[in-house]
Amino acid sequence: MTRQDNMGKIIAVSGKGGVGKTILASLLIRKLVTTGHRSILAIDADPDSNLPDTLGVSVERSLGDIREELIAKQSELPPDYSKMAWLDAKVLEIMAEMPSFDVIVMGKPEGPGCYCAVNHMLRSIIDSLPRRYDYTVIDAEAGLEHLSRRTTQGVDDMIVVTDMSIHGFKTAERIKNLSKELGIDFKHLYLVVNRVDPSHEKSISEKAKSTGLEFAGVIPEEKDITEYNLVGKSLLDLPESSPAVKAVGEIAKKIRLL
Amino acid sequence: MSTSGMFADLPVDVGLAHEGERVRKPQMHIEFGGPDVKEKFELLRVKDPEEVEDGKITIVGPDVQDLEEGGSFPFGIYVEVSGEKLEVEMEGVMERRIHDFCNYIEGFMHLNQRDSIWLRLDKKAVKKGLNLEVTGKALQRLFKSEMAIIEKIQITFITDPKKVKKRFQEALEIYEGRDARARGMTDNDVDVFYGCTLCQSFAPSHICVISAQRYANCGAISWFDGRAAAKVDPKGPVFEIPKEKCLDEWKGEYEGINKIVSEKSLGEISRVQLYTAFGYPHTSCGCFEITTFYVPECDGLGVVHRDFRGQTPSGLTFGAIADSTGGGRQVDGFHGISFEYMRSPKFLQVDGGWNRIIWLPTEVKEKLKEYIPAELYDKIATEADATDITALKEFLREKGHPVVEKWVETLPEAVEAPMLEVMPVSTPSSGGITIILKNAKIHAEKVIIKRAK
Repeated sequence: MTRQDNMGKIIAVSGKGGVGKTILASLLIRKLVTTGHRSILAIDADPDSNLPDTLGVSVERSLGDIREELIAKQSELPPDYSKMAWLDAKVLEIMAEMPSFDVIVMGKPEGPGCYCAVNHMLRSIIDSLPRRYDYTVIDAEAGLEHLSRRTTQGVDDMIVVTDMSIHGFKTAERIKNLSKELGIDFKHLYLVVNRVDPSHEKSISEKAKSTGLEFAGVIPEEKDITEYNLVGKSLLDLPESSPAVKAVGEIAKKIRLL
Repeated sequence: MSTSGMFADLPVDVGLAHEGERVRKPQMHIEFGGPDVKEKFELLRVKDPEEVEDGKITIVGPDVQDLEEGGSFPFGIYVEVSGEKLEVEMEGVMERRIHDFCNYIEGFMHLNQRDSIWLRLDKKAVKKGLNLEVTGKALQRLFKSEMAIIEKIQITFITDPKKVKKRFQEALEIYEGRDARARGMTDNDVDVFYGCTLCQSFAPSHICVISAQRYANCGAISWFDGRAAAKVDPKGPVFEIPKEKCLDEWKGEYEGINKIVSEKSLGEISRVQLYTAFGYPHTSCGCFEITTFYVPECDGLGVVHRDFRGQTPSGLTFGAIADSTGGGRQVDGFHGISFEYMRSPKFLQVDGGWNRIIWLPTEVKEKLKEYIPAELYDKIATEADATDITALKEFLREKGHPVVEKWVETLPEAVEAPMLEVMPVSTPSSGGITIILKNAKIHAEKVIIKRAK
């Protein structure tokens, strides 16, 4: 994603796999929706994630699928038929359009063929999407690949999520170092610690500050979320009283999301 | 473009600022066409002056305010233009402008083309007064102001489902005729070709030359796509190549191509002949849909596509052949190409075209059936006929393939396999460097590669 003019705010959530990126992304979207925002784009950029599920929508096809579809049929298209225009319409077609937000799924990474030209077209369409929304929230690929593949380079604020394990913190530091090395200039690089046991809160906050990322807060371990995820219920339906919802409300304030 | 005065009488704003606006479903008043509607089209035709009444707008069926809010409807836009300098060949290009111009209208979203159009009108804009009548006025003024050669223009919108159905069929026939003309367009008919350097990240000396009769190797960029991309972003990875002087029409060598190729490959490649796999073939990137491979024992070319999992009669897989030619090199007989190029009358014409093709996978044979000369179809072997060279030679001899005529009694045994230049090739996934060895023959008893410390 490359930054373009007149874009709304772009926020990406990243971190080691399994630390709760999708939960934070969903609850940030929940916050935007409940405060009355009506123009939000949610991008599921993690091939192994389920952002649509936690947002309670079903998305049948991904960008990966339409890329494959175009590669398969490109030689059957009429000669002067614009592939770019075809892709542009397909992108809207595969989007889930909800009252307050749209959801798009990136899908599986490139297959064995080479898709330079198709990827190039697709990328320029994806890059232009956030221009049409007030907020874009990206649930990024786990790990560091999103940086080297430059899928998050136009992002304003990057929020790295970790759990209480040392491995999650290490990933956060690697994301910081690699983005610096690659010259990717986030306006803010935040750290959020998920599944925090209240008794550890103080030591966690010190540890978070030592990473060099801006510490944006903690999300407590919550039984409700586990249950919602177990039955596939939308996290947007969590009550206002939910401790995680409250915590993300605080995080939203801290990162000046609203 | 100054639009303020020109559209002052219209209830909505019209201008470039609105391009790229997307009407989200919750904001949409109605939708014309789109994935849920089968019959929809847009069509532009060049007419004689007496057939066009300038400024006329006809709406066949209900206008926007009389259609049910939230619905998706069948739809047709039929634009008729006349002008002394207009030609039928320009219809496609002018028709694509419907897309641009509709998107200039505030609260109007237009996606895709031809019989795939998808239009949405925004609630707020409809409340302000946007309807088809207004759209027609905006389109007429935009067409005339942006294309001075249009002297008269009339527009018909069709929303009556029965009428759309009938006109839709007519539109399909017209598209078909236009496609046939486009497919018949030759490299002689155009003044410019297009170049593409999208693959240079891993094939640094590769430039795709896209002519009317030779698609990009990846199959994704036609001459028309090249024209569209170069127009949007002339300094981008897809750009114009003026043909300049034709050096060899039969082989497809042009001064303009050689210049650009030398420049963009940093001197690595200096000559390219478009219609041959030998001598100065077009370079191979890494993205090609198909590659040819030379079989010296038969003096013919095999063809294999990316999805073919098995071995070719040479004992090599697609991957192995691709590695030996990819990365932006010119290797005799090993030549990355697209499916579409195999449909072209120029397909390897210097080398004998289809007469030189001796083997291809069944899937390719089926796919290109109508493009393979009928008398050759049964003479070209597939994996079902031959999986090694002996069987392939036997098959070709038995079927009387044209290459057999050229076999001299002693030739098959006497020919030595041409030495394949083997070079380290950087692949899309790996980093590292590309080492290019020129005219190198390396003989070694032993090669030791050690991990760097």
